[in-house]
Amino acid sequence: MVKKMNNKAQMKIQQMSFMLIAVTLFFILVGVFFLSIMISTMRKTASSLEEKNAMLLVSKLANSPEFSCGNSFGTSMTGCIDFEKLISLQGRKEDYEDFWGVAEITIRKIYPSTGNIVCDYSNYPDCDIIEIVDKNVNKQPANSNFVSLCRKETDGSIVYDKCELALLTVSSEEKRT
Amino acid sequence: MIEKMNKKDKRGQEEMVGFVIIIVIVAVILLVLLGFMLRNNKSEAVESYEVESFIQASLQYTSDCGNQVEFLSIEDLIVSCEEKEMCLDERDSCEVLNETLKGMIEKAWNVNKESAVKGYQFKVMLDEEEKFSLKKGNETGNYKGAFQDFAKGHDTYQVSLDVYY
Repeated sequence: MVKKMNNKAQMKIQQMSFMLIAVTLFFILVGVFFLSIMISTMRKTASSLEEKNAMLLVSKLANSPEFSCGNSFGTSMTGCIDFEKLISLQGRKEDYEDFWGVAEITIRKIYPSTGNIVCDYSNYPDCDIIEIVDKNVNKQPANSNFVSLCRKETDGSIVYDKCELALLTVSSEEKRT
Repeated sequence: MIEKMNKKDKRGQEEMVGFVIIIVIVAVILLVLLGFMLRNNKSEAVESYEVESFIQASLQYTSDCGNQVEFLSIEDLIVSCEEKEMCLDERDSCEVLNETLKGMIEKAWNVNKESAVKGYQFKVMLDEEEKFSLKKGNETGNYKGAFQDFAKGHDTYQVSLDVYY
């Protein structure tokens, strides 16, 4: 009788332990499932924030007084860079090297493109690449955004505003910890 | 003996009811959490600041289609195309718009089978009606897009670009 009761109790304990293991496993699986979803959501949020920050940095630069068109081309335009200001800045690279706190600022004309001609006073405006800052340091991956590169142009009889498509690329210095 | 059996059955039934209740509670909690997750994913804007900035910059681009006063920007060229006007050099404004936009998009986004960008779709809408469109490559499920509105007179145009990856 005592042996029978002991067996029954052992069975009950076994059942209970199996049940506990099963429930624990179930909750671990559910936890892992939600954790993976949460991690993927966090990754997406992080990349979106990174993209937003990059965009903000590039937009901030494009709309800074040293670059922006202001009201020179009719109404005020966002994301518009004055080509003539850039050419003037080219002659004062050393003065502005630490002004923006970045390691590289390059503006590349995308359309129409004539090749890979680096701009200076002699070939302006028939050139493609304007390097404003180019520090000789370790750089982070570059962030870029499209801007319109505007200048005053003349066809002999009239002076008109000419805006072209360009890519503003900014790269920060890589900080070593 | 029968009474003892009934008691055992009743206990078994109670255990089953408890088990079912636990399953239902867990299922409801899972459904609620899943609902929240799906809702969060839905609200995540499928947009790209790069595409947005491209639309903004391309609308400001000065084309080689001129009228009596100036060379037209893409924004003005869209209106000119809608009004079926011709350029000063007798070219069709819609043709110039088509060529210029195609050139700009393909220079900015390298569209081909080998590259990351598989295709694009550029659209101009006026009062919910499609007025101009430009398309190349394949429409995939993975895309980034943006749109921008601009007003001319009483009309509001909506320009959108979707880039497929």
